[in-house]
Amino acid sequence: MPKDKFFKEIPNVVHPNEKLVSTHCSYCGMQCGMKLRVDTTQNKIIGVEPRYDFPVNLGKMCPKGVTAYQQVNHPDRIERPLIRDDASLKGTPDGFREASWDEALDLIVKRFKELQDKYGKDTLSVYSGVSMTNEKCYLTGKFARVALQTRYIDYNGRFCMSSAAAGFNRSLGIDRGSTVPWTDINQTDCLFIAGSNAAECHPTSMFRIWEVQNRGGYLIVADPRETPLARRADIHLDLRPGTDLALANGMVHLLIKNGHIDEAFIRNHTNGFEDTAELVKEFTPEYVSEITGIDADKIIRAADIYGRAPEAIVMFCRGVEQQSKGTDNVSGYTNMALITGKIGRPKSGVATFTGQGNGQGGREHGQKADQLPGYRKMDNPDHVREVACMWGIPEEEMPQKGVSAYEMFQLMIDKTIRANYLLCSNPTVSAPNQHHVREAFKSLDFMVCCDFYLSESAEYADVVLPVSTWAEDDGTTTNLEGRVIRHRQAQDWYAESKPDWWIQIEIAKRMGRGQYFEHLKNPADIFDELRRMSKGGTADYSGITYEKIDEQNGVFWPCTDENTQGTPHLFLDKKFYTKDQRALICALPYRPPAEEPDAEYPLRLTTGRVVFHYLSGNQTRRIPFLKAMYPDPLLEVHPETAKQYGIEHDEVVLLKTRRGEVRYKVKIIAAIRPDTVFVPYHWGKEESVNLLTNPALDPYSRMPEFKACAAQIIKLEGVLHNG
Amino acid sequence: MGKSVLYIEMENCIGCRSCLAACTQCGGHDNRNRNYVYEVDPFNSRQTIPLMCLHCVNPACARSCPAQAIQIADTGAVLSALVEKCIGCQNCTIACPYGIPKFDEEQNLMYKCDLCYDRTKDDIPPMCASVCPTNTLQWLSEEELAEKQAQHKLANGKWTASMEPALEGETNVKISLPGILQGKAKLF
Repeated sequence: MPKDKFFKEIPNVVHPNEKLVSTHCSYCGMQCGMKLRVDTTQNKIIGVEPRYDFPVNLGKMCPKGVTAYQQVNHPDRIERPLIRDDASLKGTPDGFREASWDEALDLIVKRFKELQDKYGKDTLSVYSGVSMTNEKCYLTGKFARVALQTRYIDYNGRFCMSSAAAGFNRSLGIDRGSTVPWTDINQTDCLFIAGSNAAECHPTSMFRIWEVQNRGGYLIVADPRETPLARRADIHLDLRPGTDLALANGMVHLLIKNGHIDEAFIRNHTNGFEDTAELVKEFTPEYVSEITGIDADKIIRAADIYGRAPEAIVMFCRGVEQQSKGTDNVSGYTNMALITGKIGRPKSGVATFTGQGNGQGGREHGQKADQLPGYRKMDNPDHVREVACMWGIPEEEMPQKGVSAYEMFQLMIDKTIRANYLLCSNPTVSAPNQHHVREAFKSLDFMVCCDFYLSESAEYADVVLPVSTWAEDDGTTTNLEGRVIRHRQAQDWYAESKPDWWIQIEIAKRMGRGQYFEHLKNPADIFDELRRMSKGGTADYSGITYEKIDEQNGVFWPCTDENTQGTPHLFLDKKFYTKDQRALICALPYRPPAEEPDAEYPLRLTTGRVVFHYLSGNQTRRIPFLKAMYPDPLLEVHPETAKQYGIEHDEVVLLKTRRGEVRYKVKIIAAIRPDTVFVPYHWGKEESVNLLTNPALDPYSRMPEFKACAAQIIKLEGVLHNG
Repeated sequence: MGKSVLYIEMENCIGCRSCLAACTQCGGHDNRNRNYVYEVDPFNSRQTIPLMCLHCVNPACARSCPAQAIQIADTGAVLSALVEKCIGCQNCTIACPYGIPKFDEEQNLMYKCDLCYDRTKDDIPPMCASVCPTNTLQWLSEEELAEKQAQHKLANGKWTASMEPALEGETNVKISLPGILQGKAKLF
């Protein structure tokens, strides 16, 4: 790869008795390169130093990244396995006692076996996450299907990337978050960014985004809020939450009407144009304006700029994806690139800002209810046969496909699922409709939680297993570009904590399934197996080695053999990964959010993130700097709306939806639509905005509609300034 | 000795406070940030701006110090008060037109940005500019600074707030006036 315009040769400062370990951040999909400062006299991580030569972020870090190392030797770390004998204390942090690994693992296996003997193999479930390495994500899928032999495994990517995945698979035949490397962003002429608060959620993208404007290019942002990104946009399309598909169809309509389409590209490389052109005819700027609330003039200008741009990248994030039509929104915005042919070449394409650190890699290798390693599918008998054969299990032993993350909770309440093994996730904060989720965890006969802190979800467990943090293990993740990168162990496993792979192999042995796991002694062994398993799949990692990652600063998949460098740009040959190698331009009828405002709930509630916290906040709420910067959730209200309700800045009000009610302190700000209110979701218990969100699921991705539901503000008489 | 300067483009700021977090990470900063970020008009906009020590050429803080506790390094960096000299009078905290020097009651000591002297003496960017994800804070060579100057011609003929004719006294840190995109020719 040629050197980036921002790249500078800069030495690091190394203090006496310290060494620097080159690795990546624990948090979002940017996976920023960083160097951890290790005190060599104590083998202890003590700080951070910029990794100026990592090509994506060039040393830059957000405040979460700068302070990420403070997770490792944090006083809240769980040091030894915890067992709670009194199940009546579930949902509280009380009643746990420390135990040895042998006692904890023996108890887990005893209970798992008892329940399976009585209720069948599928009574167990695994609920996983993707803030961990490919090695761990891959092994977790194998652990569920081969060691526990259950069909019920799914993961928190259902609240993160599943709509992008389903949309890209449908439109492009492949689910890689970006068709171009991130170093292309600053070189394009127009960025169309929908539903992304990149300034807060992927801050290290910002120097590239601003550079487009500094070069005279355009920034178009679609967001109900004037985020720090939208603030500087050439055009801010301030749409109502949950109306993206109308905007996407409206853009397609205007691009066709204005003659900005690439007819040769459409003819030679796509299907579906005619149907789509017919469908979008009614999406005139006036009609789109009526649905979205955006001025028709702005829609016209945005379409004109995107249409005329020599090179353009369409980008989106959870704002468009966390909707009950998230998959359609993804395909709808992808249509813009397909009809204009602005895809399959450098500086033009589509990209989603991946949420979790390994949101990309973690969704490729078999943690999803319907998916096997290498992006193989469970409904394809050939794929099932291939994987069973490589795992060395009889084909008929391969469990059936299960259900999505949110749907597992109902099965827990129904007692179809009686035990859960939870790792790398905190669903009692992150899942929608929290009352239901907490009831589900309480109704389990037995629950194991693996975490490095006692999260809100760990409080529901019978056994809590202390796991090592990201900085205490080796392995790979795949960042938001599709670049496979290396994390390095910088410190020994903290106290008696163990990495997830060690724990799963131990449980497999005790379940009598050791023969399928015992050859895996370390992350490198697991990566080697993952590579082989992925061969021939869409997400082909077979040509990726740790050495090649080091040499090239990462390897973009697909990388099908050891002599190729990988694939930074997708579709340069204009061949898509569908059966006929043509992309699909999708005709997508508009439908509103599952719940629209009415007289009782007249406001639109949308949820999101702040720059100081990551996901459920289990990690970042414990970091003093981050906590000090944003200690509690705030309800953002437009001044006009506040006036209407007679509420003031800092006043505590009740926010209510059909699912529940929560007290929030009001933050008055004109940088939001008057018909919309916003709450960040990083807090649990009675502060959780997910007590209020709507679990309406997307039919393809099973993504809940976090981004749009109907709400009401109730003024609390006599409770002023009582934060 | 490096000749690079800290250069600030206020309009890029997204309010992430990464510069504050990074400031705590510099050796000798006692885990305490010496730079600040302010919301410009919080009820209306999310615009924020960083407030960094500008390292004045003729710094009011040092001039006001009766104990010569505030030294100016060879790089032009105006250093934090010397522990052995500072008498805790707090003149500097009042003298500075930007409110940069802060006072630690317990230690009876002023503390302020030293432009990460242990880095910048070797021309390694200070922590704040190293991490700034938006390029609000940049560490520029003389040539890069000249390029910036050529790019950003404002209607009033001025370019930075801190170069001749400066708004305040001359400073080693250069601040671009708002309007970096003003008059920018669009690509198409």
